[in-house]
Amino acid sequence: MTTEISYLFISRCSPYAGQQARAALDLAFTAAAFEQKVSFVFIDDGVLQLLDRQDTQASQLKNIGKMIPALKHYDVENIYIHQPSLARAGLKQIDLPNEFKLLDDEKLGKLVATTDQVMVF
Amino acid sequence: MKFSIVINGAPWSSPSALSALQFAETVLDSGHDIYRLFFYQDGVLNGSCLCVPPQDEEDIPARWQALIESNDIDAVVCAASALKRGILDKAEADRYDKPGHNLRQGFTISGLGQLIDATQQSDRVISFVI
Repeated sequence: MTTEISYLFISRCSPYAGQQARAALDLAFTAAAFEQKVSFVFIDDGVLQLLDRQDTQASQLKNIGKMIPALKHYDVENIYIHQPSLARAGLKQIDLPNEFKLLDDEKLGKLVATTDQVMVF
Repeated sequence: MKFSIVINGAPWSSPSALSALQFAETVLDSGHDIYRLFFYQDGVLNGSCLCVPPQDEEDIPARWQALIESNDIDAVVCAASALKRGILDKAEADRYDKPGHNLRQGFTISGLGQLIDATQQSDRVISFVI
């Protein structure tokens, strides 16, 4: 039925600006549940999803920060953070989950070129 | 070539949905096939049969329906996205004890797995972001 292909989800929106961050994660979880080869990249404002101690109690929104560790539980093997986006956001690597890999523009280009399905959110 | 198209935008909030519709029409006019239309996020609002646009504006949901029915296209609205936005078919309305249903003919409610399937069965998947 399903053949294994590779997916790359590019998440480029901040966590609470809209539904994009959530939609990217939901679809990555679904692809992983179908035992596909899934990679995930946080880029542009998407790196803000990785900030520690997101507190949504007052806003009453669903906490995106708490959904991100589930990528690992769903066996999304390669989770990347776009280094230039981090720099633009003024974030240091030390703030971020250490099992996530950093990538630059060149590596991102290679990843996009070698992945079967690239989906941008 | 076999295309699938992902529609993320509501009919009138941005040009996204109309662009997707025009693209879908052009795909077929050019002799290609559409494997599936997948309506995700606010895009599920394209599947409402209750929209009444002013006469001088495009009736985008009606145009989707015409395209779907005249070409026998598989058109799926994402279940999680649809239910929370009040897009229901009769089965879901009954299940959740709601007073009405509004899913347009030609559309079906199904899960995100249908989008993963579309990415596997199509030569190209084109997403129209919001």
